[in-house]
Amino acid sequence: MAEKKLLLWLSQLACNANAHSLLNHPSLEEFQKSFDWLYHPLLPSLSSLDEILDNYEEMECDILLIDGALCAGLSKKGVRMRDMLEHFAKSCSHILTVGTCATYGGIFSAGGEDRSGLHFDGEKRLDGFSDFFEKSISLPGCPVHPEIVVSVITALAQGGSLPLDSYRRPKEYYGYTVHDGCSRNEYFEYKIDRHDFGHLEGCMFYEHGCRGTYSAGSCNMILWNGVSSKTRVGEPCHGCTEADFPTRGLWRTEKHMGIPARLPLGVSKRAYLSLAGVAKAFRIDRFHRRILEDEE
Amino acid sequence: MSRTLRLIEKVEGEVSLSYRVENGRLRAVSTSFFSSRGIEKILRNREAMDALVINPRVCGICGHAHLMATVRALESAMGNPKLTAKAEALRELTLTLEMIQNHFKWFFLTIAPLLGMKSPIQAAIEPSRTAASMIAVVAGQYPHNSYAIPGGVVCEPTIREKSILLYSLEKLIGYFTRYIVDTDFRSIEECEKIENILRMDGYLPQAMRLIMERGWERLGRSRDRFIVFGENGIFRQGKSMATRYYPSLRPDYIEESFVPESGANSVRYRGRHYETGPLARAMVAKRPLIREAHRRYGDSLLSRIMARVCEIASLLHYCRELIAGIDLSQESYIEPGEFPQSGVGWGVVEAARGSLIHRVEIEEGLIADYSIITPTQWNLVASDAEEGILHGALEGESADAPIELIFKSFDVCSVCTTH
Ligand code: SF4
Ligand code: SF4
Repeated sequence: MAEKKLLLWLSQLACNANAHSLLNHPSLEEFQKSFDWLYHPLLPSLSSLDEILDNYEEMECDILLIDGALCAGLSKKGVRMRDMLEHFAKSCSHILTVGTCATYGGIFSAGGEDRSGLHFDGEKRLDGFSDFFEKSISLPGCPVHPEIVVSVITALAQGGSLPLDSYRRPKEYYGYTVHDGCSRNEYFEYKIDRHDFGHLEGCMFYEHGCRGTYSAGSCNMILWNGVSSKTRVGEPCHGCTEADFPTRGLWRTEKHMGIPARLPLGVSKRAYLSLAGVAKAFRIDRFHRRILEDEE
Repeated sequence: MSRTLRLIEKVEGEVSLSYRVENGRLRAVSTSFFSSRGIEKILRNREAMDALVINPRVCGICGHAHLMATVRALESAMGNPKLTAKAEALRELTLTLEMIQNHFKWFFLTIAPLLGMKSPIQAAIEPSRTAASMIAVVAGQYPHNSYAIPGGVVCEPTIREKSILLYSLEKLIGYFTRYIVDTDFRSIEECEKIENILRMDGYLPQAMRLIMERGWERLGRSRDRFIVFGENGIFRQGKSMATRYYPSLRPDYIEESFVPESGANSVRYRGRHYETGPLARAMVAKRPLIREAHRRYGDSLLSRIMARVCEIASLLHYCRELIAGIDLSQESYIEPGEFPQSGVGWGVVEAARGSLIHRVEIEEGLIADYSIITPTQWNLVASDAEEGILHGALEGESADAPIELIFKSFDVCSVCTTH
């Protein structure tokens, strides 16, 4: 890369986990050599936030990263965050909404008035920043996986195409469901309903509210912290990448007439029931034994 | 007389610090926060188990402590169901690892630049990334997992996870030696002489020397009152007035009150403000090196920095014991039974920055009320400059003093404070 691109990270109503999560990227030190931060809430930066608040009208960045839920009334040192976002959004070449809050509003949108993502309030498209819709890319997740942030910034700096879906999420990471790659997949395929917490075995779709089959994400393919994922260890996916996060009753499966109310992404009830019927017609012993049991 | 307003940044968000300067001295110190996310409101009328998912999102650097406080609060409302030793040890382990990543990040990203130290970014990144991946081996991911639930933990680690933990911990210990103090980490716990540390190589001795060369070692002294609510394999509950120790605390003696100009709640125990965090933990547990620092420099910024960084050694040692003690054959989870339709529960843990307290009230099976008291509230928020802990550290200080360093010696968390 010829010239270092200038990145700017601006936090709105946030918990700072997206910023911390980035620090867990296995090649962060190398990434840091190719980019400069005008400001990042943890990493060494060219400016202080104080300087930016005082002089933002004379400043620019290449890629603007927005973290946290936008809040109409939020200001810092008397500077309205909305005005500052708008200023940088105009001149930058790309905007990334990092995390579910900045993308859809997320958890904190329920904590007060006038809170939302940059372009979405849940699933609803907003007008406020629509001039910048075409230069925006959504990177939901609570927090967003650090690999996604690093790969997308790198791809943008190098040019080339980045296929996006209707929420403007890069398909390389959000064109899958969290279910892809889960170590509990066989229990799902063969419709074994039983799952006990604290066990390696079982799928959490049937009883414990796992949203992996209909949540966009690649947690089980790229793995968290290079080693694991919620569903692999035995925690249901709560759908933290989705516009409706957090739903209610996060640890149980809502059912209608004994059938999970939400079915895998794009799968019709008829297709689901037919496959389930076939799978349930067989009893496969292996799925009813503990994996770590000693064998004769 | 006009007030000085300073933006203190990179404290998990920002805090606005204001004071008057009279005859070159700071007066009427106060802090204020820009926003609150309303977590307690978000929790109301939700199913109790949902709090396990919402609450880690209070904070990006100590969210795991919020998970542990939540699960304890829920369990206490359920009448404290039985846990296996394995489940307890795993919870302790991941909580301790979170503190380790916090302390490394704080020292190298927050304190080192203020002292002009040229430590490499790896000193912050390598250990915190290793600790985070160790948490993920057990809990699925870090930050933001909810693997501890009433009755135990959701995972079932095997020899695979255990060996990853064992060897990763040795890596962490290696980072301590490489970046903090070049000595056997166990010797820090037993060391009683500050000179012994000063003579060693490493960024901690370098930081201590820099502070002393500038004559800052006694700056930032406050009320000399310490409080620790959490109790576990290395921390002891109690309060300490200077070096006098008083055991046993009652959470119902805690009073919270909203301070409008601050936008946050202040906390007192029986009417008084206390410092919480690693210095408090070391004073209450009577750790020799930190008691010696306190004897010489009081509850100063140097004592605070030493307490937090040296705590890493105790935390590493604790992790080693915990990992060695895990009996994989035990159950991870024991079904705790139905949630009560109504009840009250308290959850208390030591988080990286000090005592963290959650209280839940359940009615008709839903959360009727939830309150969260965070360490930074203890240390930073007060309605009266004559009372607060940070206020004590800054009030009357010279305007030329390293004000930001004194402030950040508390390891402030803005997002937790207002939550
Ligand atoms: S636990 Fe969730 S992600 Fe894993 S197989 Fe079942 S539905 Fe899929
Ligand atoms: S597994 Fe589900 S809840 Fe967990 S990080 Fe991935 S999308 Fe979010």
